Amino acid sequence: MYYVLSIFFPILAGIYLLVRKEMKDRKNLLITVAAALAITAVFVVFTFFFADPRMFTLFNLTDRLPVLFKVDEVSIVFSVMAVLVFLCAGVFSFAYMKHEETDESYIREKRYYGFYLIVFGVVIALCFAGNLITFYLFFEMLTLSSVPLVLHNGSREAVMAGLKYLFYSLSGAYMSLFGLYFIERYGNTLTFSEGGVISVQAAASHGGILLLTAMLMLVGFGVKAGMFPMHAWLPTAHPVAPAPASAILSAVIVKVGVLAVIRVVYYIFGVSFLKGTWVQTVWMTLTLLTVFMGSMLAYREPVLKKRLAYSTVSQLSYILFGFSVMNAGSVTGGLLHVLCHGFIKAALFLCAGAVIYMTGKTRVEELRGIGKEMPLLIWCYTIASLGLIGIPPTGGFISKWYLAEGALSSGIMGFNWIGPVILLVSALLTAGYLLPVTIYGFFPGADYDYGNLKKKEPSRLMTIPVLVLTVLSVLMGLFPEGIIDYLSHIVIKIM
Amino acid sequence: MDFVQNFPAVSILMCLFAGIISSGMKKRSARYISMGLIVAVTVLSLCTLLYILKTGQAFVYVMGKFPAPWGNEIRAGVLEAFMAFFFCVIMFLSLEGGRKKLADEVEEGKTFLYYVLSDLLLSSLLALVYTNDLFTAYVFVEINTIAACGLIMIRQNGRTIKASARYMIMSLLGSGLFLMGLCMLYDLTGHLLMSNIKEQAALIYASGEYRIPLLIVIALMSVGLAIKSALFPFHAWLPDAYGYSTVSSAAILSSLVSKGYIFLLIKIIYRVIGFDIFNSSKIINVLFIFGLMGMIFGSLSAIRENDVRRMISFSSVAQIGYIYMGIGMGTQAGIGASVFHILSHAATKSLLFIAAIGLTDVSGGSRKFIELTGAAYRNKWAGAAFTVGSLSMVGVPMFSGFISKLLFAQAAVQNNVKMLPALIVLGISTVLNAIYFMKTVIRIYTPVDDGKYDSIRFKDMKSYTVILICFILLNVILGVSSQPVVDLIDQGLAMFS
Amino acid sequence: MGANLFSNYGEMVAIILFVIGFGNLLLQSNLIKKIIGLNIMDTAIYLFLAEKGYIEGRIAPIIVDGIQDMETYINPIPSGLVLTGIVVSVSVSALMLSITVRLYQRYQTLDLDEINIRLLKEGL
Repeated sequence: MYYVLSIFFPILAGIYLLVRKEMKDRKNLLITVAAALAITAVFVVFTFFFADPRMFTLFNLTDRLPVLFKVDEVSIVFSVMAVLVFLCAGVFSFAYMKHEETDESYIREKRYYGFYLIVFGVVIALCFAGNLITFYLFFEMLTLSSVPLVLHNGSREAVMAGLKYLFYSLSGAYMSLFGLYFIERYGNTLTFSEGGVISVQAAASHGGILLLTAMLMLVGFGVKAGMFPMHAWLPTAHPVAPAPASAILSAVIVKVGVLAVIRVVYYIFGVSFLKGTWVQTVWMTLTLLTVFMGSMLAYREPVLKKRLAYSTVSQLSYILFGFSVMNAGSVTGGLLHVLCHGFIKAALFLCAGAVIYMTGKTRVEELRGIGKEMPLLIWCYTIASLGLIGIPPTGGFISKWYLAEGALSSGIMGFNWIGPVILLVSALLTAGYLLPVTIYGFFPGADYDYGNLKKKEPSRLMTIPVLVLTVLSVLMGLFPEGIIDYLSHIVIKIM
Repeated sequence: MDFVQNFPAVSILMCLFAGIISSGMKKRSARYISMGLIVAVTVLSLCTLLYILKTGQAFVYVMGKFPAPWGNEIRAGVLEAFMAFFFCVIMFLSLEGGRKKLADEVEEGKTFLYYVLSDLLLSSLLALVYTNDLFTAYVFVEINTIAACGLIMIRQNGRTIKASARYMIMSLLGSGLFLMGLCMLYDLTGHLLMSNIKEQAALIYASGEYRIPLLIVIALMSVGLAIKSALFPFHAWLPDAYGYSTVSSAAILSSLVSKGYIFLLIKIIYRVIGFDIFNSSKIINVLFIFGLMGMIFGSLSAIRENDVRRMISFSSVAQIGYIYMGIGMGTQAGIGASVFHILSHAATKSLLFIAAIGLTDVSGGSRKFIELTGAAYRNKWAGAAFTVGSLSMVGVPMFSGFISKLLFAQAAVQNNVKMLPALIVLGISTVLNAIYFMKTVIRIYTPVDDGKYDSIRFKDMKSYTVILICFILLNVILGVSSQPVVDLIDQGLAMFS
Repeated sequence: MGANLFSNYGEMVAIILFVIGFGNLLLQSNLIKKIIGLNIMDTAIYLFLAEKGYIEGRIAPIIVDGIQDMETYINPIPSGLVLTGIVVSVSVSALMLSITVRLYQRYQTLDLDEINIRLLKEGL
């Protein structure tokens, strides 16, 4: 029951907003949205505690393909992150979307919230999905419902970006569907179960084709996570969306790709089947390549939001690298980084959005003196950046520590030292592309005209979400023990 | 003999007589007769279906007094009755959905002829579905062609006349080949009834004699029917015929007429030649390859197309390719998937045609893409329906298209040789479908800023909206609870042999 | 093989005619010639059927002198099929001819390629 409520309540609320006749009062609209978000959050928490943990079958798509949900620790990790980010970004958008005041833009805003809620519901559904077909179903829905967020401003650029996003995602989804066919044939079941579902005989007799399938599924789901051969949509699509939507896209929706990979590797194929095969090698190579390339591209990118998008590409592959190494330390690091990156990237995108909202500046070199104008915001930005770079005591430090340590102790020839080196180089690059905003912002140089300086600190609706996210990321670094304990439970179960 | 067993024959005859009667009637009553007829046939087919499900076996109905090897027979199994039922539903929805357009596009005095033709078409479709006699099948194939040609031509402009000429020519080529195959088969086996031919064919095949003539027969029949159902290299007539005729015709032609031929082919495979004999011939590979090529080239042509109706028509070519791929797979599951796709494509394609007309109507009647910008805001239900249709075509879960893709793939993994090409082409074609359908959906949901279309308001027509909702529901039902349908198909295919 | 062909020369002729008709229907661009091709094709099939149905030395199955022995008569079914086929082909030819008339009235030509060009000019 709680599954249905927490998944379909936001979806129905979103649909209600979409089909509802023009609601002239903006305040009403915002209250509705806020209420929907809050109620959903409550439902999700209820689900953690009270839902039947085994599984809940919604209906049967065909005899052998039930649509079912269940809660396990991984779902809890991902859904907590998603709920927090969705709440913060939602509050932020109350302020951000305000500048659209004509009737037309009002309709747009309503549409934005409608799809925002639908995406929220779908993401929750993905976290709770109990088998591959359910996951696939909502994976497609996620693509379709998040495209309107990219298309939001209706410009030609946005439409092209939306189409690009759509095609990459659909091709990726098809690749994974390809895998679904095979697993249905060779697996015991499609239900996610720790340690994999591939039967021993099938693994022995059809090992080759199953490995190929695994690779295809990794690449296919990796599309959502911006992994190397299929990453090009991400830097195009994320920045054209409105800032809170970018935050959602970059912090949560790409994580769904990560969740998919976790499900595929640890719950469908199983570590024992994949470890030490060519799939693992290729996968590790791809992720490392992506880490490095993403950082390089971000370093060269002048537009702040695009820079952040490239950074997402790179950081996501940190996480994927953790999972590809397949040992306890690296997986813990990966899971930890899921949380860290979620909070931090959302905070960063919201900062960028606030800057755009207040000043209209998008390029990094235009941001000189920005720290003087809105100090609180840029302090948040700076702290979040430090977290992403991995400087103690932030959460990013701990997750990267685990990642690097896991890679070092993995004992996989070559990768046990190349991995950490690339992670380190990329961390330096991260500092190189994130910190200029801080540096120019607070130290605009001698020729900066202080006479024109006006305080432009944005409204509380904007600063508080950013502050909350930043504080969360710092707290994770200060008090990591509880979380790490919890994560190591998961790791023990799935390895 | 139970009373229900009369129903198939009665429904065929009813359609024929309704056609004759309404040709002497005024416009209005012709429509009422036609609609009433379709509803009646729907009910009859449903009764037949329930009856067969209850008794658990197919029945044979002897037409006239002559028993099996000489007389003419009708045979009804689960699949036949279900097809008849489904065809009637689609026919009803398509006719009703295109009614307003029909009144606009056809001369006032001629609309009743349309219903005469549709009655004839329905009768021939039912006969194709039910008959157990190959020569009867041939005769009704021709009637079907003539009626379909009339449906294309009823909207008089240069394009449609030319399209119907080309349609006729291709169809005649197809039926010529079919007839030739039929004659040869008659010579080989000495029978015209499907069940008798099958026994003889099995004997002949087992004896090892006449392998080549049998192969030629299979080739002639499958190529003939493939031409008639517009399989890839023979599809040249299709875009014009579907693209310029009145919308009900396009919907009916794409979702019923070509499907009728495919269903006949499946019947021939199972009930005439024999599944194993058909599979051991090389023809099946030809069908498979043509199917694959159709999937890709149909979609490619659709992407290049700038006219929404023609785009949907080209997409039909691709979808027919899917069906033939399934047939060519050479497994029971493949044929099952094809039959399901016949249903799902019929539901989706007629929905798309009907919805597209709603969209073009509010865009100044133009079918060019650029004019369709924002059309979904001007006609909300048509927009929603078009979106549903597109998603189903792309194969998004919850809609019927996904299930057929799933079934195709499940069938493909059972065949080790054809697995990879089938899956790869399925993937490519999915992405290509996504390109042109999603492009259209985004186009119709892109708002226009200038007040160009303010004057055009969609004239609210309740029945049109209701029809669209029915279509959407049909699609979703097929997509969400497909299992009963799949079971029915399996049961029906099992009854075939 | 050769002897086989020679003894079945009727069927051979039918097949050759069928191919000629088929080719005409497919390849000619003139509509009237196409219709002629169609008729040749159909007739070839009837010839084929009639040839198959006829058995040397037997008579039509009409009982006049009381002989009910099966060996006396030819198979009547192909003849029946031919009759049905002729009806079908007549109606189809009529429909084709009417389409041709329509096209001719509109475009003053019987050439399909020519009609295509005109259609493109019309820009319909």
